[in-house]
Amino acid sequence: MLPLTYALRNLFRDKSRLAQTVGGSALVVLLVMAATALNSGMAEVLSASGSPRNAILIGAGSEESIQRSEVSAQLGGIAEVGIPGVSTILGTPAVSTEIHYMSFLETAGGGKGQGLFRGVTPKALLVHPEVRIMEGTFPRAGEVMVGKLAWRKLGLPQEALRPGKTVKLDGSEMTVSGVFAAPGTVMESEIWTVLGDLYMLAQRDTVSCVVLRMETSDDFSEVDLFSQQRLDLELAALRETDYYAALSSFYKPLRVMTWITAGLVAAGAVFGGFNTLYAAFASRIRELATLQAIGFGRVAVFFSLVQESVIACLGGTLLASAAAMVLLDGRTIPFSIGAFTVTISPQVAVTGLVTGVLLGIFGSIPPAIRCLRPSLPRALRS
Amino acid sequence: MISCKAITKSYTKGANTVTPLENLSLKVPRGEFLALMGPSGSGKTTLLNLISGIDTPTSGSLEIDGEDIARFSRKQLTSWRARKVGYIFQLYHLIPVLTAFENVELPLLITSLSRAERRKKAEEALDLVGLSGRSDHTPGELSGGQEQRVAIARALVADPALLVADEPTGDLDRESATHILGLLRSLSREHGKTIVMVTHDARAAAAADRALHLEKGKLLTTDPNLTVA
Repeated sequence: MLPLTYALRNLFRDKSRLAQTVGGSALVVLLVMAATALNSGMAEVLSASGSPRNAILIGAGSEESIQRSEVSAQLGGIAEVGIPGVSTILGTPAVSTEIHYMSFLETAGGGKGQGLFRGVTPKALLVHPEVRIMEGTFPRAGEVMVGKLAWRKLGLPQEALRPGKTVKLDGSEMTVSGVFAAPGTVMESEIWTVLGDLYMLAQRDTVSCVVLRMETSDDFSEVDLFSQQRLDLELAALRETDYYAALSSFYKPLRVMTWITAGLVAAGAVFGGFNTLYAAFASRIRELATLQAIGFGRVAVFFSLVQESVIACLGGTLLASAAAMVLLDGRTIPFSIGAFTVTISPQVAVTGLVTGVLLGIFGSIPPAIRCLRPSLPRALRS
Repeated sequence: MISCKAITKSYTKGANTVTPLENLSLKVPRGEFLALMGPSGSGKTTLLNLISGIDTPTSGSLEIDGEDIARFSRKQLTSWRARKVGYIFQLYHLIPVLTAFENVELPLLITSLSRAERRKKAEEALDLVGLSGRSDHTPGELSGGQEQRVAIARALVADPALLVADEPTGDLDRESATHILGLLRSLSREHGKTIVMVTHDARAAAAADRALHLEKGKLLTTDPNLTVA
C-alpha cells in the first residue's frame, strides 16, 4: 500500500480543488445532518407527547384531530365514575376535561401568532405530570399560562409572554399568569387557559376530549369498552401514544420532502465532486502510472486515491459538524401543532460521519477508475 | 539475462493495425550496459517497455533471468517489476509531494523490510548517487541532474538485477548528463547491473558496452562506430 502521507500531501497540491471538495462535502453532510436532526426532532417530540398510561375519549369520527372533536361537557364526570382503573392521586381521579382550540394570540406590542390553546382545569396536571410550572402560577379566570416554547411557535418575542404581560385572545384581554415546561412534548408550545374561559371564547358548550390517566397501560381496555358501551355519547377511545403516532405519520410527507431535498443537493454535489476529483486525478495520470511501473499494484494506487478523497470528505464532515453545532444545535423549529428543539445528537453526528465517508468513497471511485484505465505505456507518455 | 525470441508487438489504432516491433530477437548478457538507438517511432521505447514488463508482446517469448514474462498476468508483471526492474525515466517521474528520501524509499514499501532496514537502504542508495545531503528536499527543490540521480537511487534501491532507462540524459545539460552516464556505467561495471538504455544521443550511447539500432521495428546491426568506453 502507498503511504498515507502520499494521500495527505496530495490534498494540498491544489488548494482551490481541496476547498471545492471539502466545501462540497461539508454542504452535503450538513444537509444530511440537518434532515436527520429535523426529522428525528419532530418524530421524538410527537412520540414523547403521548403517555402509554393516558387514554383519550374523543368524538367518534374525529380521531385524527382533537380540535374538531366535540363531546359532552359532562363526559369527564361520567367517565370518572363509569370507568374502572383510573389513576387516583390524593383521592382525586386523574381525569382532565379539555378544549383544544386553534386561534390567534396578540401581544400588547401588536405581534400576532397562531397557536394551540388548551382549556383545562387544575386536574390537567394530574394527567400530564410532565408539566412543570417554571414561573408564576396556574391560570385563573382571565389568565393564560404559556408553554416555554410558545413564543417560538407563535413567532413572537419571548419577552412579550413573560408573567404579568397582557395578551389578547380573540379580542379578549388576558394576563400571562405563568410559564410551564413539558420537556420534549408539543405541550411546551401551547397556551393553557381556564376551561370556562375557552367555552366562551370558542363559543361552544361542548369539550374536545377527556384525558384519563390509567393505573396501567393495560387499563386502556376499560376505556375502550366504555366507549363501545356508551353508544349514546358517540365516543371513540384512543391511546394518547396512538394519537400522536397518527399525527407523526401525518407529517411523513414533510419528512420525505426534507430527505428528497437533501438527496437532490447531495446528488448535485456528488456529480460536482466527480468532476473536481477527476480533474485532480487526471492531472496525475503519469505519476499514477509511475507508481505502477515501480511495482505498486493498480489496486494499491486506487485505494490511495479513494483514501485521498475520504480524507478530504472527512475534513468536510468536520466542518459540517462544527457548522451544525453552531447553526442548528438547540434551535427551536415551529410546526403546525407545536415546536421542537433541534439536537445534534450522537446519532446525528454518526449519520454525518457515515455520509462523509460514503461520499468520499463513492465520489472517488468513478474518477479513480477512469484515470487508472489507460494502459501503462500510454499513461507514462501522457 | 535477457533473451527475446521473435517478439512482435502490434496494436490497433482506429481501423489500422500498427506494429512498432516485428519479429525481433535479442540477447543481453548479465551485467551488460546496452544502448538502444534509432529515430522516433523506430520501436525502441516499445522494446524497453517490453523488457521492463510494462507492456507485453503480442507474440514471441521474452525470457529474463529464465522467466518468460510474456506469459505473465498483469498482477504477476507488477510483482515481477517490483523485484527485478528499476526504471529510469527521461523526465525523472519523481513524486513531487514526497522528499528525495521518501521517493527513494517508495519501492521498498512493497517489500517486507522493516522501517529501519528501509531507511538504511534508501540512505545507502542516496549516498551512492551522491545526494545523501539532499534527502529532505522535495523534487521542486532539486536541479534536473539531482532529480535524475534521485530517480536512479529509486531505481536501484530494491537491488534489481535489471535497470532500464528511457532517455535518461535527454533533459539534462552536458555536465549533468556526463555525471549520470558515469553513474550508470559504474552501476554496470562495479555493481553488475544489466542496463538497457534508450537514447537519441550518440555521446550517451558511447558510454554503453554495446549499442543497437532499431528502425521501423526491426533491429539493425551493432553500430561499428561506437566503441566501448
